[in-house]
Amino acid sequence: MAEAALAIEGLVTGYDRRDVLTGISLDLPDGALVTVVGPNGHGKTTLLRAISGLLPTRRGSIRLFGKKLAGLAPHQVAAAGIVHVPQGDLLFPQMSVHENLLMGAYLENNQAVIRRRLEEVEALLPKLAERRDQLASSLSGGERRMVGIGRGLMMGGQVMLIDEPSLGLAPIIIEQVYEVIARLKASGRTILLVEENPARVADLADAIHLLDNGRIVWSGPPHDLLERDELLETYLGG
Amino acid sequence: MEILGPVFVAGITTGALYALATIGLSLVWGALGMLNMAHGALLTIGGYAAFTLATLLGAPWPVAVLAPVVVGALIGAAIYLLVAQPLLARAPKSFETNVIIATFGVAIALENAVLLIFGGQPFGQSIALPGHLQAGGTFIPWQNVLIVAVVMVLMAGTAFFLARTRAGRAIRATAQHREAAQLLGVPVGRVYLQVLALSGGIAGTCGLLVSSITQLSPTLGADPMLKAFIMCVVAGLGNLPGAIGAAFVLALIEAFASYALGARWGFPLLLAIVILVLIWRPDGLFGRAAVRRL
Repeated sequence: MAEAALAIEGLVTGYDRRDVLTGISLDLPDGALVTVVGPNGHGKTTLLRAISGLLPTRRGSIRLFGKKLAGLAPHQVAAAGIVHVPQGDLLFPQMSVHENLLMGAYLENNQAVIRRRLEEVEALLPKLAERRDQLASSLSGGERRMVGIGRGLMMGGQVMLIDEPSLGLAPIIIEQVYEVIARLKASGRTILLVEENPARVADLADAIHLLDNGRIVWSGPPHDLLERDELLETYLGG
Repeated sequence: MEILGPVFVAGITTGALYALATIGLSLVWGALGMLNMAHGALLTIGGYAAFTLATLLGAPWPVAVLAPVVVGALIGAAIYLLVAQPLLARAPKSFETNVIIATFGVAIALENAVLLIFGGQPFGQSIALPGHLQAGGTFIPWQNVLIVAVVMVLMAGTAFFLARTRAGRAIRATAQHREAAQLLGVPVGRVYLQVLALSGGIAGTCGLLVSSITQLSPTLGADPMLKAFIMCVVAGLGNLPGAIGAAFVLALIEAFASYALGARWGFPLLLAIVILVLIWRPDGLFGRAAVRRL
């Protein structure tokens, strides 16, 4: 197993006074795609928000290649190399597609690097080049998702957190989004992916963690989970 | 009919000043959701800062002209660090209401500080261009030409800064989605500080320009602040281009109404128009149900 790019140990976090995650531990090896699945409202998004500093780490630790992330502000976590593609895209609606992508490279000062990343993103997601000057608010759901992923790629970080990329999309668009994620994995990117449906990531993920009620209740290869009917029935409603 | 020329000149000049006052107010509202009630006091202090340097200390005019920008920016930054930031950190949900009350207190304190230092008697601003030009039988004071030119340059500069620079894009991004901006590495606290400093610098300059065609008094900024707020509401809070357009149109209406109906009718007519606009479009002429951010 390669070195853990992201190592989480005993993470406790939550909102107001309530703990949502009650002791999460997981490793994301360098170059791997690891998926966290689980029912809605059981802490998947909370986990990603805690890693990016949007929620405080109450106990435990989060390390990126050995560097402590817990306690850093979100902009410092981004600068450390975490790319968070949030649920619902969170695009800048009154900015063009191009400006949204440029915002992804906010931390990069080298114009040549920014141009190169733009070329790479537009090669991977050609639709974005076609929609370059269009306002983000006028895009379709699938296009918005692509801009969200493209903006994340513009950051050039070390680890990508992708939160429910299939949420609210038509099946054909979901397929396209997952094709892009598969290409990202093939290019060697390290990805922590949150998803509700384990079947969608069965051929893609190196490992899968089943999250329920704020803790990991099962970990292993994706196909093993799909064969465990009792787990699927209990935690994911079959 | 030859009186209409000067009325038009007066309307355009006050429109330019209102527009400049609305830029600062609208920037802060658009970025932070903060109605800065101390904006008028920043105008006042800008006027007095230039007066102090030019008249009392005998500084050369380029220094005196820069003083309002620097002093306004510093006070704007101080308002963020000492008032807005603590309120935002401790009670983000009630920030929009709390900050109105808090900055109203700041406005009173600043106004009274000016009163204590300079007294209540009005002063004339020494930095002003003398003379006038004549166009088609209308005398246009050079100072009015300068005011409109300075406002145009500042508006174009602000638009360029927001649209084309990295810092400007970060301000717009933070205004449109604070959390998304944070995830991309934008230090939103620093962005807010920049916005308040920029707004304060613009307000200081506006104060100097207003005082150059009126008089310096501790309440100098109150009228432009009120008018700027009206323009922002008519346009839809946070809508910068709309507010600038509304500033010119409403200032011209006020000027012509004051001429045709008498000076005391200008402002009531303005308010009547605002009420009608808000009945017709409660979110402002160009506003949306949700506040349109920068």
